Amino acid sequence: MYEPKIVAIFCNWCTYTAADLAGTARMEYAPNARIIRVMCSGRIDPQFVLNAFQKGADGVLLGGCHPGDCHYQEGNYKALRRYHLLQRLLEQMGIEKERLRIEWISASEGDKVKKVIDEMTEEIRRLGPLEIAETPAEQKPAVAAS
Amino acid sequence: MGTNGDVKIGVYVCHCGTNIAAKVNIKEVVEFAQTLPHVTIAREYKFMCSDPGQELIRQDIRELGINRVIVASCSPLMHEATFRRVLEEGGSNPFFFHMANIREHDSWVTSSSRQATRKAQALIAAAAKRVFFHEALQKNSVPVNSNVMIVGGGISGIQAALTIANAGKKVYLVEREPSIGGHMAKFDKTFPTLDCASCILTPKMTQVASHPNIELLTYSEVESVEGYVGNFKIQIRKKARFVDENLCTGCGECTEVCPIDIPSEFDEGLGMRKAIYRPFPQSVPNTYTISRRGLPPCQATCSLHQKAQAYIQLIAKGEFEKALQIILRDNPLPSICGRVCSHPCMSVCSRNKVDQAVNIPGLKRFVTDRLSDYELPKPERERKEKIAVVGSGPSGLMCAYELRQRGYKVTIFEAASQPGGMLTQGIPAFRLPRGIITDEIERLERTGIDIKLNTHVGIDISLKDLKKKHDAVYIAIGAGVERKLNIPGENLRGIWGGIDFLRRINLGMHITPGKRVLVIGGGNSAIDAARTALRSGAEEVTIVYRRSRNEMPADQLEVEEAEKEGIRFYFMASPLRFLGNGRVTGMEFIRTRLGHPDESGRRRPVPIPNSEFTLPCDGVIVTIGQKPDVESLRDRLGLALTKFNTFVTDPLTLETNIPGVFAGGDCVTGPDVVVNAMFAGKKAAISIDRYLNRQDMREGRELEGPFEPTFEIDTEGVPVKWRIEMPSIEIERRRTFEEVHTGYTPEMAMEEAARCLACAGCCDCQLCSTVCEAKAIDYNQKDTTLEVDVGSIIIATGFKTFDPKRIPSYGYQILPNVFTSLEIERLINSAGPTGGEIILKNGEKPKSVGIIHCVGSRDIHHNRYCSRVCCMYSLKFAHLIRERTHAEVYNFYIDMRAFGKGYEEFYDRILEEGAHLVRGRVAEVTDVALDSSEEGKLIIRVEDTLIGMVRRIPVDMVILSVGLEARPDAEEVRRLFNISCSVEGFFLERHPKLAPVSTFTDGVFLAGACQGPKDIPDSVAQAGAAAAEALALIDKGVVELEPNTAWIEEEECSGCQTCVALCPFTAISYDAEKHVSVVNEVLCKGCGTCVSACPSGAAKQHLFLDEEILAEIEGVLTI
Repeated sequence: MYEPKIVAIFCNWCTYTAADLAGTARMEYAPNARIIRVMCSGRIDPQFVLNAFQKGADGVLLGGCHPGDCHYQEGNYKALRRYHLLQRLLEQMGIEKERLRIEWISASEGDKVKKVIDEMTEEIRRLGPLEIAETPAEQKPAVAAS
Repeated sequence: MGTNGDVKIGVYVCHCGTNIAAKVNIKEVVEFAQTLPHVTIAREYKFMCSDPGQELIRQDIRELGINRVIVASCSPLMHEATFRRVLEEGGSNPFFFHMANIREHDSWVTSSSRQATRKAQALIAAAAKRVFFHEALQKNSVPVNSNVMIVGGGISGIQAALTIANAGKKVYLVEREPSIGGHMAKFDKTFPTLDCASCILTPKMTQVASHPNIELLTYSEVESVEGYVGNFKIQIRKKARFVDENLCTGCGECTEVCPIDIPSEFDEGLGMRKAIYRPFPQSVPNTYTISRRGLPPCQATCSLHQKAQAYIQLIAKGEFEKALQIILRDNPLPSICGRVCSHPCMSVCSRNKVDQAVNIPGLKRFVTDRLSDYELPKPERERKEKIAVVGSGPSGLMCAYELRQRGYKVTIFEAASQPGGMLTQGIPAFRLPRGIITDEIERLERTGIDIKLNTHVGIDISLKDLKKKHDAVYIAIGAGVERKLNIPGENLRGIWGGIDFLRRINLGMHITPGKRVLVIGGGNSAIDAARTALRSGAEEVTIVYRRSRNEMPADQLEVEEAEKEGIRFYFMASPLRFLGNGRVTGMEFIRTRLGHPDESGRRRPVPIPNSEFTLPCDGVIVTIGQKPDVESLRDRLGLALTKFNTFVTDPLTLETNIPGVFAGGDCVTGPDVVVNAMFAGKKAAISIDRYLNRQDMREGRELEGPFEPTFEIDTEGVPVKWRIEMPSIEIERRRTFEEVHTGYTPEMAMEEAARCLACAGCCDCQLCSTVCEAKAIDYNQKDTTLEVDVGSIIIATGFKTFDPKRIPSYGYQILPNVFTSLEIERLINSAGPTGGEIILKNGEKPKSVGIIHCVGSRDIHHNRYCSRVCCMYSLKFAHLIRERTHAEVYNFYIDMRAFGKGYEEFYDRILEEGAHLVRGRVAEVTDVALDSSEEGKLIIRVEDTLIGMVRRIPVDMVILSVGLEARPDAEEVRRLFNISCSVEGFFLERHPKLAPVSTFTDGVFLAGACQGPKDIPDSVAQAGAAAAEALALIDKGVVELEPNTAWIEEEECSGCQTCVALCPFTAISYDAEKHVSVVNEVLCKGCGTCVSACPSGAAKQHLFLDEEILAEIEGVLTI
């Protein structure tokens, strides 16, 4: 079976802690997401997401505190803005929007971590591996040669 | 990366016993790690966090020159600090370290061993790539403020406060309620020792009150929390209790006179308390508090702010004399107002939400009728200044009274032969008997007011003279000039102006308006004129109004009375002309429809073309309004007039354009109701008093007069009870000027007054202040905010009990004699509402009692968790009830949870005492009897799982052992302190086992049941633990801050300032000289939002460099 690779970038206070809680509660879920910790979802640079796709990720999951609950007041809102920006960018790049997902998961929602990761794994399994087209710059000479 | 030198990574994979090793193939992972670039050594060990595990790392640093360490084990939130310390001990910078979370994020959540192994490898690969970029960092430390704030004054808060205060540190104990004590103060005995709760709690409460290191802030709430561990800034709102804590001696005299009864929250609504109260006799502080929602709506809407709720509550208690005294404080004409006031108070009465407003004027009238020989207070001192009041209507009378009370010499000049203005001339005697007016005015005269009748200012004495002979003048000449229809035929005989007609009859003339009379208009004058016509010989009276009934300005109650008396109404018709020759014989009208609303908000009548019709008549009374008669004053001294021919006055002071001359009432506003005229008189009196004392007339007067109610109450569950109608004379007798309404009897008045919901709590009667010798009561007290600096916070906000109404089959509040456990605590308590008697609603002792365990707990429909205290307190009830009532007691339990010290023994004891224990969850409590033995009983239907059959057990009383829940506002509190809640809503501890009183926010600790259901011993133990955590922080004196702050590389910064606006902590500023943004490291909390927004990559974050995160991303994708 095709096993997609998902890079998950979670904030320290809510979503990363929720993932710890899912572990403590022994909730089994898909092994496809690899979690990277940042202090706040506001730290998530759009470059991280693009880089992940470039390096072979089939999906990227961003996790932050619920709106209004951010440990740093409003970093999650900044993350949400960047997410919307990225969605438009990814569309232009031909990357399905389902491959980037943002979720608000509080420290007590271990079950939500399981649910989201399971769902996303299934979704990406359905989409198949991400195939990024060769860059136009590299394509051009090929066309010229033919 | 030359700066990082020769990178030598050591990888240490932990088995965590079998926690990791059972799922992850450790050997494979270690072999993989060894192949990674820069990895010098990869090892495995059973428990890396143990001493020998730690020593492995230290040894490799020393012997192999390892300068980067990766531990693949549990979550960094668990052991990152541990291993950083190990690096430090080994001689390395602690930040050359990274943890791969292969337990919580891998072995515990992955089913396949192969997949788990692969995931572990990926996480280690990521770590190996990341640590390459790690830099040496220094921890910053900041001093810790040694003050501690504790939120919640239950047993946990009290215990923590005393522990910290005894250690010599300052404590702010904040409690929302007027007293500390929490739930424990309500309990009678505590399990399993059966010692008395108050005996062990109250000494602690007293200690809190007297402790020099504790600042007790009761009736206070935390408004905002800023700062971070060691340095919090807290705003606390101290709610106004309207009693000065420093002056109140707790004598309780005030409660003796307070007329307001409110269900006692402390007694779970089983008993009553007063509006001024302390929750229980041992309250700390021993200070009374007034429950006050605001000014009662009736009082707010009244122009005179008469204390309607106050006198009504006193009437309800039969205290008529006190009620009268309250009435007389604000109104010298109460008997008149009780009859003719337009009662705006009734339209805002909270009772309207249930059924009908309380008859407020009717009750006022009752008091003045019953105690009719009252007198108005005499002035306390005399002043020499003389004041002239022109006009003896309600406005003039009120102004004269208010000024006379202040000692001025007041003379009222009245043009008519009788005083009272419109009261006498405009209002017919069947609504307001002449004797009542005479009595009220004579009372005013007895206070020393001089009334000169038949003295027309402008004819008999000039206004100029008046002004010369007096120090101030108040003009209140009313609006007595009739408006005309200005249609053809208005000069025919048989056509009367409404005021002219009423005035003649009211002044004693005998005139007959005709047999078939038309009354034109829809105001109160129209109704008065019509009813007067009926009493003056008219046989058929019809009121014709150009709009519909809904737009009629007349009082609806009066309209109904008029209808009862046989007066007919013709709506939607506008007069065109009078018909007749010499004498009126009919009128022509045109039908109207309602158009768009006009300035008054009422829909404008629009004539319907070709719909003319005539009505025959031999008399017409035109009541379409009046205007002031400013001409009658002749020399007006140059008083300015509006285009409506009313006097121009300053709305705040009622002063005219001539200093010392004031005007008010209808001659300023146009025709208006009595109470507004009186209000103008009062207002003018205040201005005149200030004028004569050379004070600022305008200061602080914006809030005079009526205002919208400031609160609304929830009236759910208030039973409907319609207004008690005031008795009136029979319809047949309504052909004379006998008063129509005869007034309430005392019984009726008390019954009607009892309908008052006392919606404001305190009714502002201010009787308490009359008996308070300490002068502690201050009705003007306002909420105050206080700011405190603390280093740590302990949250001990407790719990709430499950609301059993959510399980209707148990019959709570449906069947009598179904009680909650907290209610039983109060019933058993000798200081409770029954003095410790366990009785049924009918006052009898129960012969059998059923106690249902696990109500709302261990229930998938409600709370899945066990509330931990119910089994034991239910057994305690079994013992106490048997001891006090000798009743048979049945306990219905699912499992018996007797886990604490002495609990199992207690259980054994209760069994030996003979309580019946039935194992099974109760299905329902019903009063439907199947046979005579169940008649009149509550039947508990339950499956007894030990004998395997369904049983029906009839009892007299049912006790629902309700579980514990998070407080309903836990969510708001959580946000305030930036902590988390668990799924059940209780506050989330940092670690369920190893950090049970810490939260994810450093410096914020938890104590007691706000973290989860707990009994008293556990709560106290946790409070001690929380206090110890706080003290440990204080004792250390400094906190080390994670060095994950952001900084900006000057050379790379373009000065765009994007980051400045993004920073939620205003830690970034712009250096205009260097054209770069600068991060203030002390303010930076390390979120990194600025870093990801920086377009030039100049903003960077320690521990989370772009290189580090990108390396980690690349790393997790390698395998």
